[in-house]
Formats: sequence, C-alpha cells, structure tokens
Amino acid sequence: MKKNLFTILTTLVLASVLLSACGGATPAPAATEPAATEPAATEAAATEAPAEPAAEGEKQKVVIFVGFGTGTDPDQVAAQEALAKKFNDSHEDIEMEFLIVPNEEATERFLAMVSGDNAPQLVGPHGTSTIARFKEYWEDVTPYIERDAYDMSDFYGPATTINKYPDLDAGLPLGLYPSFLFYNKDAFDAAGLDYPTHDYADTSWNLDALKEMAIQLTLDANDNTPADPDFDPSSIKQWGYGDTWTDMRGQLTMFGAPDVGRPTTDDYKTATFNAPERVFGFQWLHDGIWKDHFIPDANGQAAIDSTGADPFGSGQVAIWYSHTWFMSEALNELPFAYDIAPLFYNQDGERIARIHADLFTMPKNAENKDAAWEVMKWLVAPEQIVEVCQIYGCLPARKSSAEAYLNFLKERYPTIDHAVIFEAIDYLDNPHHESWVPEWGKVNDTLNNVLSILYSDPEADVQAVMDQGNEDLQKILDEYWANQ
Amino acid sequence: MEEESNESRREMTMPESGDFGLLKTQILMSLPSIRRMSLARREALAGYAFVIPWIIGFLIFTIGPMLASLYFSFTKYNIVDPPQWVGLANYAKAFSGIWDAIRTGDPRQFRDPLFWKALQVTIYYASIALPLNLAFSFFLAVLLNQKVRGINIWRTIYFLPSIIAGVAVTILWVRILNPRVGVLNPFLKDVLGVQSPPGWLSDPEWAIPALVMMGLWSVGGSMIIYLAGLQGVPTDLYDAAKVDGANAWQRFWNVTFPMMTPVLFYNLVLGMIATFQYFTQVYVATSNSLGGLGSPQHSTLFYNVYLYQNAFRYFDMGYASTLAWILFLIVLILTALIFRSSEAWVYYEGQLRGRG
Repeated sequence: MKKNLFTILTTLVLASVLLSACGGATPAPAATEPAATEPAATEAAATEAPAEPAAEGEKQKVVIFVGFGTGTDPDQVAAQEALAKKFNDSHEDIEMEFLIVPNEEATERFLAMVSGDNAPQLVGPHGTSTIARFKEYWEDVTPYIERDAYDMSDFYGPATTINKYPDLDAGLPLGLYPSFLFYNKDAFDAAGLDYPTHDYADTSWNLDALKEMAIQLTLDANDNTPADPDFDPSSIKQWGYGDTWTDMRGQLTMFGAPDVGRPTTDDYKTATFNAPERVFGFQWLHDGIWKDHFIPDANGQAAIDSTGADPFGSGQVAIWYSHTWFMSEALNELPFAYDIAPLFYNQDGERIARIHADLFTMPKNAENKDAAWEVMKWLVAPEQIVEVCQIYGCLPARKSSAEAYLNFLKERYPTIDHAVIFEAIDYLDNPHHESWVPEWGKVNDTLNNVLSILYSDPEADVQAVMDQGNEDLQKILDEYWANQ
Repeated sequence: MEEESNESRREMTMPESGDFGLLKTQILMSLPSIRRMSLARREALAGYAFVIPWIIGFLIFTIGPMLASLYFSFTKYNIVDPPQWVGLANYAKAFSGIWDAIRTGDPRQFRDPLFWKALQVTIYYASIALPLNLAFSFFLAVLLNQKVRGINIWRTIYFLPSIIAGVAVTILWVRILNPRVGVLNPFLKDVLGVQSPPGWLSDPEWAIPALVMMGLWSVGGSMIIYLAGLQGVPTDLYDAAKVDGANAWQRFWNVTFPMMTPVLFYNLVLGMIATFQYFTQVYVATSNSLGGLGSPQHSTLFYNVYLYQNAFRYFDMGYASTLAWILFLIVLILTALIFRSSEAWVYYEGQLRGRG
C-alpha cells in the first residue's frame, strides 16, 4: 500500500514538474524564435485594419522605455511620473507608463523585450545615434502623419530633418540640443583674459584665438602655463579646453569636411574619414593634447572622471564644449561664475556647431501602435512640450514654444546669455555626426579606436592613423554592400 | 512474508470500485512491475525521480539555449528579423584570410582581423595571468599554512578581496592605477625611484599587465582550495622525510608539491576556463573610457568583449553565436590537453604507476 502510494505521489510530482516546466519556461532571448516581424511597408500603418477596440473599461497600455538618452536621474524620474499621471487623468482609453532603465542596461533590456515579443510602445527620449543604431527596429510614422494630416509647420526645420531618412521618419520631434562653449568666468578673471565674444558674426573668434586663450588658461600645480619654461605637463590642475563627451565623428565635425559629420559619401559606399579637413582636425587636437597641453589626455580625462564631477563643474576645464543637455546635468550650484559663448570658426572660416535632436520612437513590433501614436502626439503638443523639455533639458522643437522656454531658461539659468542657445541652431551639422551609416556600431567602434590613439599616443603619425582608419572603414562598407 | 507479498499483489491487481479506484488501478497496471525489481534498481529509480527536476531545468535553460545558439551560428540573425540560413558563412568569416596573413605577416589579410586580435589578447592575458595566479595563490597558501599566532586573521585578510564584487574591485583598481590621481604611480616614483611609471590602463603596452595585477589581488578563492589541500597532506610523509634527513625545500618539493598536484590540476582547469571567459573587469574599466570597450587601441579587446560587441552593439547574433562555439571548442581542446597531460604530472595518493 505504502509502495503504491509512493509510486502515485512520484508520478504526480513528475507530472506537475513537467507541466510547470513547459508552461512557465522563458528561455533567454537569443534562444527563442524571433517574433514574426510586421511588414516594413510604410503603407501598412495607414491601410491596416484599425485595432480592435479595447473592451469597455479596459485601457490600452503605452509603456515608454526611457534609458537610451536622458531621463534617468531621480529628479527626472519623479517628473516623468507626474507627467504620466497628468496624461492618465485626462485620458480614459489609454494608460501611459514610464519604464526607466539605467543607461548601461538599456541596450540589453530593450533587445530582450523586442525579442521576447514584449516591445515597449514608445522609446525615448533619444537622439540620432540610437535611431541609427536600431534603424531597422523603428516604425515609420509617415503614414500616421499623413493619416491625421498632422501639422509639422510649427517645428524647427532641423528638428524634422536630422532624424529623417528616405525610408524612415522615426518620430515627431521633441527637442533640440544645440551646442556652444561653457566658460569659467573666474578662470578667465584669474588669467586676466577677456571673455570670448558672444557675437556669432565675429570671425576673429576662430581656432587660433581659442588655442591662444586655452594655453593661457592651462595651469600646472605651480600655476605655470604651457608658455612658461617651467611648465610641468604631468601636474596640470586646469586645462584650457575640452570636448570629450562625444565620439570621434563628433570631435572632427567642426573642422568642416565635405560630408561634415558623416565619414562616407552620400551613397554610403566610399569612406571619406581621412578627408584633409579631418586630418587637419585630428592634428590640431593631437597638438592640443601632446604639444600645447591645453586639452586633457586620456589620463587627464580619467583623473577628471575620478572626481565624480563633470569636467566643467570640477573646475578642471576652463572652456568646455557641449550641448544644452549638459546644462540640466551639470550646471547646478557651481562654485564659480560661468557663461556660454558661440563655438569658434574653423580653419576654413566656417562654423559648424553640433546639434542633437531628441524624439520618441515606436518599435515596429510593438502592440497598441495607435495608442502609442496618440501619446507621441500628446508629448510634443504645444500644451506639453515645454514641460516635457524642461524634464529632459532640451530646447522645444516647436517655434511657438520658444518664448515659454526662454522664460524657463531665464528663471533657471539667470546669469547666462540665452541668445547664444537659440542662435546656435543655425550652425548645425548636416550630415549629422551621429547619422546612420552601414554597420553603424562597427563603424563607430572602429573610429573610436582611432580616438583612443589620439588621446593615448603622443607619437602617433596622424596621417598614417587616419589613413588606416579610413581603410578599416572602407573594409566594413565593402563587406556590408557585398552582402546586400 | 509471502502472505504479505501475495496480499500486496492482490491489492494491486484487484480493481477497486469508483472512478478513482479504476484510474489508480490503470496507472499501476501500466507501470513496470516495481515489486519484481531489485532493491538497487528501485533505489536508482528513486534517485532519478528526485534529480529529474534538475535535469529538466538543465535541458530547458542550458542545453536548449546551447542548441539554439548552435543553430544561430549558421544563420544571419539580428533579433528583429527571422534567422536566415547562411551555412558556414559565419565560420568562414572568422577563419578566412588565415593563409594570406601567415604568408604575408600582415594581420589586415584576415577577413576579420579583430577576431584574431581578440584571440591574441586573450591568449596573451592567459599566458601571464594563469601561471602567476596559480603560483601566487599556492605561495600564499603555503605561507598561511604555518602555525603562527593569529593565522586565522591573516587567512581572513587574504581571502576577503575575493568575495568583493568584481565591479567594485575594478572601479577601485581603475582609481589606484590612474597615473595622475592614483596611489600606485606616486609610490613607484617617490618610494621605488621609478622615473617614468607606466600609464597602466591608458597605455596599450601596460593595459594587460594592469589587469593581471588586478586579478592577483583576488586569488583568495584558489588560495583557500590550496590551503585545504595542504592540510590534507598526511603528516607521516613529512615525518618520514625528516627521518631521511630532508630539509625544508626538499620536503616541499618531494612531498608537498606532488601531493598538491591534484589541487593544482583542478585550479589549472578552472583558471584556464575563467581566463578565456574574462569580461567583467574589462567592461567596467573600458566601457566609459575614451575609445570605448577594448581600448586603448584594442589592447584590451578580449574574446568575450568582442563577442559581446557583435551580439549587443552590432546586433549580429549569428556571428556572435559562431564566436561562442569557437570559444567552446578552443576551451574544450585545451581542457582535453590538460587532462591528457595530467597523467604525467598529477599524482594521486595511492595511485600505482607502471607495474601494478
């Protein structure tokens, strides 16, 4: 009897384990068969049958995946939660929710969700680089715009073109992040230097002027500058200029190669990384690091990072080149006076100031796309866009919101020259320094390897390095096109 | 007993009334005739029954994904679109150009130079880190096997670093090794008189030695295993050696070391596997640096780092799966070679060699 009971119990245990294993198993994303993808045809969204109406009382859920760009600071998280509440209180049929993911985990989490057939309805805010990285993943919103006859005329021109490709309009513009120079006024006062001009038309503000100024602002432990004979480059406590919160393409954009921020020809088939303008730029930066010592090298960058503060806020870089998103992250209770100034003209008398443009995008295989489109429209609507942009530190992409945003800037950053921010938009880089190229990730890593040479090898042969980088890039392009 | 057996047999064969009784009878009648099995067989069946849940989990969560990745290694797969069968194309990509590269001595002849660079970096690291780790942890274990006052405190101190999370250790060492603000270079310069201390993680020549040094700090885990092995060496062997007039070194070389070879073998195999899977420390140390993962100048482009890049930065899951299986084969071959060589240098107590 006992043996029979044991047998029955063992059988039941085995059966329950088998059933639970089959029903609850969630294999790792790479092991699953991929979810069937929706057709990429742009007409699909406009012509597909409307989604089945939600059951009465049931809201359609729209999850906004935040993690590829800004939006993960605690203050921003709270503000986003308040924004979600505002939307949910005013919409009976859609429920919005922010899914905040740390930046360093964002790629893996997003891929896991997409491959597990659980794609978020919206992703953002993020910019050109994320759109380029995942270009095959995004829904083209052109059919939605056409279906709703959505008025795009209020958006700044660059905001609508930077993230648009012939085969993809990734989303409605949210905000722009023009770039300019942040400068430490106390450092200038201590060096007895005039502040940089705020006049965008002043062509005397160029590479040579910046170099001369930056050398005067670079100090070692004994307050010697690189112009002094006793200057010790191993003990620099303040550098004159820095621009390292970008990649290789970003750093070379200002020097004005024909393809500007894109290291290939228009057809993406020929590498142009070693264009003379970029070689000049690389040499200028290399000399600034290793010969004139006004730009921090790799060790200097690591030393600055180890303070836990950003390069400008730490007081170790007197002139720092960055974007408006830097303001919301870094300009909080600084111990010194600061202001902003236009980027300088390059060696050809041209000014090219990088810009970032953020938006929310819709994954191709997400559910509730119509609801996601409604949320996307709400986020960039005139009534909300300023509030949303205040969370993320962007300049609203709508021209009609400029005054409201200016008032916000005056209140939040009363001491800076706000006109510098708006005028910078006119000097944006196009083609963009983060724009799509074939094998975007591989190209970026290849060029960033060149960047590491720039900042770690004082003896680098600049032309040889750039030529090698171009050759490596050409190989990637050739392989890509051979497989098309 | 026979009556009990007959009775139990009748219980099993007599149909019971009711639906459940019928079901029970049918289940029992469909099972092997357990009562006629030997005790050993019944116990084995019970053992299998208890281990079945683990086996099921192993099949679903380990073997299943492995087989899936084997399939993906023959496909072009970017997660969003269905896998597209390409046969051996991914494997050809990894190994193409090898003869031209050998013939010309130019690594650019490889179709995928970074695959070979990653392999080179990994082997370079393993060739330094593995012997040093083995020797250093063994040395520490021998030191900590002494009968001195407070030895337990010393053992704890040397073991503690191995239980700190790899990420925290790496962040700490990145700071220590920073040439400008770290503590190591001033020590080398001011105390030891080194005129130009290296750039460590920012210098392509010194990045790997820096990582090796980082790894030596965390040898506590293998040290403990050696310590346990040392304490298992029979003391009568030492007594006999002393009687024969052996000095300390002779006792170590002729008694301690041979008796420790099984432990050494164990640590060697696990250490070899671990070095080929090296990833966390490099990721933490270089992902936010200028030049990104594997910098500076690909000097820290470990095999697993390159695999990660292909999977999660280039979204080439097919090629990443190929790299994973190539790594598996490399580690398998090396492990087999180590096992094969163990016959020559691993001594098990009581083992008879040569004539039986």
